[in-house]
Amino acid sequence: MATSVSRAPVVAHEFGAYVVSATANGRLFGVAFGDGMVRLIDSEILDAKPVEVQAHVGAALCLAADIEKGAFLSGGDDGNLNKISALGAVEVVAEHKGRWVEHVTTHSGSGVRAYSVGKDAFVLGKQKTEPRKLTHATSVGGLAINPKGRRLAVAHYGGVSLWWLAQDSPPALLPWKGSHLQTVWSPDGDYVVTAMQENALHGWRLSDNEHMRMSGYGAKVRSAAFGRRGHFLATGGAESVICWPFTGGGPMGKAPFEFGGAGGAPCTAVAANPEMDVFAAGFEDGSVIVGQPGPKAAMLIIMGGGSPVTALCWNPDGDRLLAGTEAGDVNIADFRA
Amino acid sequence: MTEQTQIPVTVLTGYLGAGKTTLLNRVLTENHGKKYAVIVNEFGEIGIDNDLVVGADEEIFEMNNGCICCTVRGDLIRIIGGLLKRKDKFDAILVETTGLADPAPVAQTFFTDDDIKKRTKLDSIVTVVDAKHIDQRLDDSDEAEEQIAFADIVLLNKTDLVSPEALAKVEAHIRTLNPFAKIYRTERSNIPLDQILNRGAFDLKRALELDPHFLCDHEHGHHHHDHAAASTIHDTDIHSISLSTDKPLDLQKFDAWVADVLMTDGQRILRTKGILNMAAKDERFVFQAVHMVSEGTFTGPWPSKDNRRSRLVFIGRKLDEAALKRGFDSCIA
Repeated sequence: MATSVSRAPVVAHEFGAYVVSATANGRLFGVAFGDGMVRLIDSEILDAKPVEVQAHVGAALCLAADIEKGAFLSGGDDGNLNKISALGAVEVVAEHKGRWVEHVTTHSGSGVRAYSVGKDAFVLGKQKTEPRKLTHATSVGGLAINPKGRRLAVAHYGGVSLWWLAQDSPPALLPWKGSHLQTVWSPDGDYVVTAMQENALHGWRLSDNEHMRMSGYGAKVRSAAFGRRGHFLATGGAESVICWPFTGGGPMGKAPFEFGGAGGAPCTAVAANPEMDVFAAGFEDGSVIVGQPGPKAAMLIIMGGGSPVTALCWNPDGDRLLAGTEAGDVNIADFRA
Repeated sequence: MTEQTQIPVTVLTGYLGAGKTTLLNRVLTENHGKKYAVIVNEFGEIGIDNDLVVGADEEIFEMNNGCICCTVRGDLIRIIGGLLKRKDKFDAILVETTGLADPAPVAQTFFTDDDIKKRTKLDSIVTVVDAKHIDQRLDDSDEAEEQIAFADIVLLNKTDLVSPEALAKVEAHIRTLNPFAKIYRTERSNIPLDQILNRGAFDLKRALELDPHFLCDHEHGHHHHDHAAASTIHDTDIHSISLSTDKPLDLQKFDAWVADVLMTDGQRILRTKGILNMAAKDERFVFQAVHMVSEGTFTGPWPSKDNRRSRLVFIGRKLDEAALKRGFDSCIA
């Protein structure tokens, strides 16, 4: 494998609280923290001072790009779902006193916002109307809206419930034993894949209800991302970045490709580059690499050493990469230079 | 990578009305120098508005296709995962379970989930027992028995409501269910909190500090047959088997035997604790298990060179004493 150390400059911040989640909306990176702060960082002007907002009283638990440009939605253990504008104004979108807002996701094309509190998922539109409540038998472990913005996948114990967003109908259940957490939808909309409480992934092909079991991981998978064209699903949970091929009928019966893994620490976060067929991966030892699965695997070491990586995010142009850690470090690598 | 300190977790069990809420309120209000995150099963009972009090709905998850030792509490994994993202907000965690909760999945959560195992450690299981009503509870519920069987510490509460004779009888009954738990007699849960919090009962290195009498076969030594006469017992009832020997054991033989016992009978064996004298080793070997999840290690010298007695206690249902004794004796070096 060809390895080189990046000379891309890195802008480093130390914020001192667990980085819960990071995402981008337009040119802004949004980063949510375990002390309830949300910081907005301009990916065009990396040395500008971040916009800082005390969004939650306790910890922020989740973050998504809002359907409005430049805004973000954050959920916290104070029971609030907040909208944070590009300038840092906070607006309470929903309140669930005494409970936790644990997952949030949006679809800008269809103008849908979805979040979860315990066993309930809620769907909100653009207008301030009463949200639609979707109840499940056990707590929600993950949310994902399909690429067309018409269906919501809700992961829970025992499988995934698929709801039509525009229809008031009961969900279709994708069953599988065990507890399902982070959920991703393939870019063509045909596969739903969950990272499980066990050290495994489970997937379903919707066109023929075919199951996929992807196991053999040494740790919890925790993070999974489809590449921009959907050819590969990159996953955490192993010392190298395990990438399952989704071309030509899916990964069933095929061996995964991998890259990285020199450090010996498990991969804790992955993010697909929106412009190129490469993935960024962060590890428990704090290192971050960028690489490409396949026979000509190659990688760049971007940053090394430190606290476990908990969040990774590219800007929409795919030339700036943000990595956040448990210790509260936020590093942004600049590939334009 | 920086070494992270593990946050101690105390699990509080006990039947409804035994006095758990009184104890919880004391943990939340008394000045004991530590900040507790408290996970409660019913919000309403705690009269305190504190953002470190979190409500939980019991969600039992079977992992790895239903292996009993992989039955865990999904709600605790979720909530503790969330709490651990907070910054320097608390020193310890207290988990209250419902009166009807099975303590095993709670305990197993702390040995099964990697993230929780890394960042927290199970400190002890504290069971509050209502001295006046416990006999009735033990007769009509499996949970009450299990909660005592799993306990590291039993608070025998409301002692002012019963006669000394009745209290002695209840205590003897608790001993038959659990020979190694530390028993404190209390009224209105009035015990110094440092006696029950941060005790390190699951820390093998501290297991002996908590119960220095574990090795002495005194009054609760071999009395596990006696309670059959004391109350009506059906054959699913929990009992304990206490094995001991003065002869040194062979570590490899013991490891192989105990692994086999727990693999085969781990469903029926609730808890196992032992302090063992291994041949050609100067240190004590401490062993404990919750169902099939076990750990054992050497923990330091024996207090006296002459009294290196091995003792192993099994608590469970329908235990075959003769077979366990044969197996234990076969581990003698």
